[in-house]
Order: sequence, then structure tokens, then C-alpha cells
Amino acid sequence: MSARWMRDLPGAAVFAVAFLILLASTGSLSRYQLDVGFTLLTFLVIAQAWNILGGFGGHVSLAVSGFVGAGMYTTTLLLEKTSAGLTVSILAAGAVAALGALLFSVPLFRLRAAYFSVGTLALTLTAQAAVVNWGYAGATQGISVPFDAVPTQTSLFEMALVLAAVALLATWWVRRGTFGLRLMAVRDNEDAAGTLGVAAFRVKLVAFVLTSALTGLAGALLALRQVSIEPGAAFGLTWTINAIVMAAVGGVGTLAGPLVGVLVVYYGIQTQLESYPELSAILTGVLLVLIVRFAPEGLWGVVTRGAGTLAARRRRGDSPPASVDARVAEPM
Amino acid sequence: MVDALAQGILLGGLYASVALGLSVVFGVLRLVNLAHGELLIGAAFLAFLVVDGTGVDPLLSLLVVAPAMFAIAYPIQRYVLTPVLTRSEEAPLVATFGLSLAATGLFAELWGSDPRSLHASWASSGISVLGVDMRVAYVIAFVAGVLLVAATHVALTRTRRGAAVRAAAADPDTAAVMGIDVRRLYAATFGIAAAMAAVGGVFIGTAFSITPTGGVTWLLTGFAVVVLGGIGSVLGTLVGGLAVGIVEAAGIEIVGGAYRDLIVYGLFFVALTLRPTGIFGRAVA
Repeated sequence: MSARWMRDLPGAAVFAVAFLILLASTGSLSRYQLDVGFTLLTFLVIAQAWNILGGFGGHVSLAVSGFVGAGMYTTTLLLEKTSAGLTVSILAAGAVAALGALLFSVPLFRLRAAYFSVGTLALTLTAQAAVVNWGYAGATQGISVPFDAVPTQTSLFEMALVLAAVALLATWWVRRGTFGLRLMAVRDNEDAAGTLGVAAFRVKLVAFVLTSALTGLAGALLALRQVSIEPGAAFGLTWTINAIVMAAVGGVGTLAGPLVGVLVVYYGIQTQLESYPELSAILTGVLLVLIVRFAPEGLWGVVTRGAGTLAARRRRGDSPPASVDARVAEPM
Repeated sequence: MVDALAQGILLGGLYASVALGLSVVFGVLRLVNLAHGELLIGAAFLAFLVVDGTGVDPLLSLLVVAPAMFAIAYPIQRYVLTPVLTRSEEAPLVATFGLSLAATGLFAELWGSDPRSLHASWASSGISVLGVDMRVAYVIAFVAGVLLVAATHVALTRTRRGAAVRAAAADPDTAAVMGIDVRRLYAATFGIAAAMAAVGGVFIGTAFSITPTGGVTWLLTGFAVVVLGGIGSVLGTLVGGLAVGIVEAAGIEIVGGAYRDLIVYGLFFVALTLRPTGIFGRAVA
């Protein structure tokens, strides 16, 4: 193991311990705690998944809702119309999302930067409009997961926990692995990366498929939680908004950022203003603008930079204004 | 079918005024404004306040609403968007996404989520021209759209300030060296685009209805127009508007109104990915 991987050992240990404690304690959590935990974990998955393509890949996808909706419909349709089991129906959601990404990557990656974002938005609204007119899937009325196929709240929580761990591991692989280096090279300068022998299209494709599969799997769990789904909410922009806000507020292109973002946005804004959704939307939007304008590295970036500055001052034994070494501390 | 085509052409003029601000902002600032739909909806809500409070015709309310939109948009570009414009490709996109979200929440907070329409004496009356029935609202919107596009084209190509805008669009650094204050010019351009959106917004509010969350569908319509007409091209906006209007009207006539969204979004997606630089012509501004 190289040093690049070794330096994440403390963080990885914290995550592993937290994962095991949460997994072992599901029996003692209340229904409310399980519910909140499930919501946080699924938000973490879609924010972290968006972060792979958006943060490390530099492609702002507005298709989160499209893949959440596709995942929701895949699982619900399989459970309602076929005899497929729960596991197959959930995994199929990830497969369908991945296949969709594979299929649409050809037209979408012809588009650069903002055009890509507009294309993903058009794709999502097209998918929504198609499902609205799809009689087999209940059209505007939507469809429901059969009652006896709905898992218990405890097992839903456990599934969300496992999926969140997978999303974190995937991001960690991107953050530290050579694939991530290629992805970030393409983000920073696609032409230069291409001349260095990076197959830009293939790298972006892998990131897009990974992002979409995770998002589709989150959609599967969300459908099982909501039981009844309809195109308005399943493909509604709320999923995209949450993914982008949570990832950007915490810090795009970092491993811990989306986790911080989910906690801050969910607990700091959405839970506090539960009865005032309009105010919640205003504050969320303003926060996003302020972050982009004044702290583009996100809250996690601000914290790690602050900590780096303090450590640098202590090492020198005095407190002159922080200079170069403060910037060396890179968000994890 | 003739009625439908006539309606498509007239709606095309309306779509041109919906998309013009988006096109100009993209052409000059290289900024994809994801909050453009909220500019339209916000202007329509402001017009609603004026029309409801004073009883004037929605068209007259533009005398207040267009300058108000300029005044709101100018500082947003100057102090929020321009500083992040050169930082990365994602930053301005995410910033306008945040603005869109905040504005949607603000509209819902101030005006509730019920659909509203602007009341005008001509809003629902119809006329018959050469045996073709059409809505007066669409005819007025068409004329306004054509005039707006023509005026913008003349202002950009025949005036000194227009030349400055074109210079900044072509190369902001060189324009700055030549003594153009690019930051103020960017803010003014964004402000004027918002004032243009006021025209589109008033016609959306009169011919259709507005809701706080309605911005995103108009954003997509606007993008469809911009892409079909050639990104950043002013005259192309009219061509794109007509294309979207006619395709939409013909599509609804052939397969039914329920598929309206599917036709418009689906065709837009195909057009965007086949010809990312636009179907008709290149940018002039």
C-alpha cells in the first residue's frame, strides 16, 4: 500500500467503526430514529454519487431526479408486475440506471460544460413526460409497491446503511485511485488530459455510470420507503436540488464534504424549517449562492483549511498571518 | 391544421421573447442562466401586482416591471455572478441554480402556490384573419416578440454601446484593454436580459398562467429556442421560437395535447445532442 492510501487510515477507521456501531444498534433505534437515519443515508448516497461526476468529474448533472425516478419505477414495476424477489428488484434499479447512463452517455458527452447540464435537464424532463403518458406504469396516478413486499423499517435502514458505505467506498476509490486522477485531469483540462493519453470519454463514462447506478439504487430504496410513487415526485427536481446543495455546501470534490453537507442542510435547514418549506428553499438557495461565491471549497474545506492554519501557527510557536503552508492542507 | 400552424407561428413569437434574454446572456457573458425561468415568472408576478393594484393593462405594467427587473438583476450579476464567472465552468452554473431555488421559494412564500393569470381585456378574445381563427393574446405576443428581437438586433449592430457589447462578447480581455468596463457592461447586459424577460413574463402571465415552480419548464422552452436558433444569435432566437412553436403545434395536432411536454423536451434533447452549436446559423452577438 502506498502512502496515498495509508494516510486515510484514521478516517477509514472512524467510518468503519461508525458503520459497525450503526449496523449493530438498529435493534435499539426508535421508529423515528430509523426513519431520520434512512433519510439522511439516502441523501448521503445521492449527494456522494453526484459528487463523483460533478465534483471530481466537473460535469454538473441535473439528471439526479431522472435516475432516482428510473430506480423507483424499476423496483416498483418489478415487484408489482413480476414475481422477481426484493433483492433482484433493488439491484435491477441500479442496473437500469447504469444502462441508461451508458446509453445516453453517447449523446450527452458530445456536450461540454453547461451544454451537458442542459442536456441532462432535458433528458430528465423527457423521462418524466414519458412516464406521465405511460399507461402500463399507472400514468399520472403512479403505482404502488405490493403491501407484502414492503420491507420493515429496520431492514430499510440497514440497506441504506450498506448503500451509503458502498457510495463512500466508491468515492474513496475515486479520490485516491488512479482512475480519480484521470477523471480530475479531464475535469481540469480535457484537451491536455487527452494529449497525455487519458481516454476522456471512457473516464467520464465510468464516472457517469457509477454515479447513475448509485443514484438508481437510492431510488429503489426510496420507492420501498414511500410505497406509492407517481411521476411528479419521482422525477421531481427536489432530488437534483438536494444532491447539488448537499454536495456543494459540504464541499465538492472531497470525500467528507457531502457528509457534512447532508448533516448541515438536513439538520440546519430542512428539519428546523419543516413547517416552512418556502423559507427552507430560500435559505438553501441563498446558502448555495454564498458558498459558491465566498467559500467554493465548501464548509468542509473551510474547516480543514482553518485547522491547517491553526496547526501551522502552533508549529511555529507564534501567530503571524498564515501564509503558504495554510494552503498546503488539502481537504480530504 | 391551418389553425394549429397559425397558432404555432404566433406562439413562436412569444417563445422568442421568452428566450431572448437567455440567448443574449449566453452570447455575451458565456453564462448559462439556470434562473432564467425565475426571471420570467418573477416579472409576471411583479406585473400581477401592478395590474391588480392599479387596474392598468398588462402591457402598460411593463413600463414599471421592465426597469424593476433591470434594477434587481444588475447587482446580482455585478456582485454575485461576475466574480465566479471565470473561476470554473461549474461555479456560475451552480450559482444560478441556487438563485433559481431561492427565487422559487420566495415566489411561493410571497404569492402562494395557486396558479395566477394577468387580467387583460384582450386576454381571451379571438379574431379571425382570412378565415383563420387566432387568439388576440397570441397575435400581440407575436408582434411584441418580433419587435423585441428586431430592436435588440439593431441595438447590437448599429449603436456604439452595442459595439461595446459585441466586443466584450468576442474577447472580454481585449475589450477591457480598449477601455470598456467589462464588469459594468456584464451587469448591464444581464439587467437588460432580465428586462427582456419581463416582456416574455407578461405574455406568459396573460396567455397562460404562472406558478412559483413554473420557471423550469419555461427555462427548457427557452433553451430549446436558443439551441434551435443558434446559441447566442439574436435573429436566430426568432427562428428558433418559430421552429419550437410550429413543431409543438403540429405535434399536438398529430398525437394529442397530452404529449406536448414529451414532444418539446424529446425533440430538444435530440436537437441539442445532434447539433450542439445550433441548427440554424452561428452566433452574431
